[in-house]
Amino acid sequence: MNATLYVQMMKVNLKGFLNYALGSAFYILLMFWLYPSMASNAKAIDELVQAMPEGVGRAFALTGFDSAEAFISGEYYGLILVLILAIVCVQLSTQLMAKLVDQGAMAYLLATPTTRGKVAGAQAAVLVSGLLLIMAVTTLAGLAGDAWFLDGKFAFDTTRFLQMNAAAFLLFFAVGGISFLVSACSNDEKKARGISGLITFGFFSFDLLGKLSENIDWMRDISIFSLYRPADIVNGTARLAPAFALLFAIGLVAFAVAVVWFRKRDLPL
Amino acid sequence: MLTVHQLTKRFSNGKGIFDISFTVNKGEVFGFLGPNGAGKSTTIRHIMGFMKPDGGFVQVKGLDTWREQGKVQASIGYLPGEIAFIEGMTGQSFLGFMAAMQGVRDLRKRDQLIERLQFDVRTPIRKMSKGMKQKVGIVAAFMHDPAVIILDEPTSGLDPLMQKVFIELVLEEKARGTTFLMSSHSFPEIERTCDRAAIIKDGRLVAVNDIHELQSLQRKLFEVTFADAASAQRFAANAAGLAIESHKERSVRVAVQGNYEAFVQETAKYKVRNIDVFTQNLEDIFMNYYDREGTIR
Repeated sequence: MNATLYVQMMKVNLKGFLNYALGSAFYILLMFWLYPSMASNAKAIDELVQAMPEGVGRAFALTGFDSAEAFISGEYYGLILVLILAIVCVQLSTQLMAKLVDQGAMAYLLATPTTRGKVAGAQAAVLVSGLLLIMAVTTLAGLAGDAWFLDGKFAFDTTRFLQMNAAAFLLFFAVGGISFLVSACSNDEKKARGISGLITFGFFSFDLLGKLSENIDWMRDISIFSLYRPADIVNGTARLAPAFALLFAIGLVAFAVAVVWFRKRDLPL
Repeated sequence: MLTVHQLTKRFSNGKGIFDISFTVNKGEVFGFLGPNGAGKSTTIRHIMGFMKPDGGFVQVKGLDTWREQGKVQASIGYLPGEIAFIEGMTGQSFLGFMAAMQGVRDLRKRDQLIERLQFDVRTPIRKMSKGMKQKVGIVAAFMHDPAVIILDEPTSGLDPLMQKVFIELVLEEKARGTTFLMSSHSFPEIERTCDRAAIIKDGRLVAVNDIHELQSLQRKLFEVTFADAASAQRFAANAAGLAIESHKERSVRVAVQGNYEAFVQETAKYKVRNIDVFTQNLEDIFMNYYDREGTIR
């Protein structure tokens, strides 16, 4: 990894990361603030959820509101956080590689005494750092929200909350790795964004559809999003170790292949 | 200093570059000429190690530019033909970043270049004009004092004054022993700086020539306006060995290709009111050259 490049790219992208991180932190705090008033009506809301078709509740991870982490999981980790991070992955991975090749700025980087492996390594590190930053701020905001709004009066399982955050990070480590691989192989910025967007949101949709109806349950099996189950984590029924290991391995392999591929290919700079 | 040896790259559409070989010596400025799509950029991409050759190799200071990445770039400065920088930076921060990437500690040369090219480094890159970006690129290519500088269409976007400054800069660096490879469309630019030039067409090297030889290939049209129509008539009738293109009242158009002396002597015999010159552009010279080559073969 080229440290100079890493620092520079972090500087350029820091504002964007912070925007996403603060947006995410704000949203999760809002949820914590809302929870106490929801909890007092928990029974009524639970009944409402029960009344919805079974698939819908499953799809959006509406697991009930009997604990704060269940509420947060349903209201934030089930959908909105996933969408935010999916957008970050697709946009950022495209910007970090394919855009530089498409517009030609990569030529300046490669004209300096560094190797392509180091350049790609630094850009991959920027992507992972960005995801880590957003997730870290979100986690801290969650813990702060617990201390601030719940104040020990409502149940909040910190361990499961942390597991949920780790799962989200690992999912997007894998998704980011795949997007980065697409980006590192592309000469065209728009094409790279299109393909990685299609893969990411395709996986996402397969998972969502698979959850909606049991008849097309098989769709979940071909989506890596099915390795991320915040509702199960909250219920304590998730098998974390294999899912975590698999997501981490997918991400690692994708990043490694991206770097190797980028080293070998012809660049139209 | 720079060796291109039997470089071959075939693209899937059948185009590419084939068996390109030439050497640029230390302290030499080497021009690289050819129409668009002839293979100039592809050759430069191989020199920079951006593409892997199908056959042959490129060496700079004895290092293979594809295999020795990470080392070889220390002795290369590069000005890309298409200018694009990383977004969200100013000229200053970009040049600072490039200096750090190049491992340059001594920033005096950078500051000198900035002063010479006269531009405001604090301008954000996205607000820069094409010429200004070109200047930033030139500073980035020169500031680490590389042994070899590769310039892809270097003066496009620069105003005439800055073109002159740029040519001076190249000549100074050349005097200090820097080697250059410069691709160009502009004949005056090549004429004033280069020692030798290679002409490439359809992916093949047509010729490597001394620049003076190329100059003699350039055909110029002189429109001479004589004091009276009779002189013009006599000039046109008697000009042995001069190619008279057209004759209209007092003015005669003469095509001159290398035989300046004959032209001057013949013209001097009459009273001349005015001489206009039309320089043939490089594209036409190529065409001429290729045609000639074609008939010889």
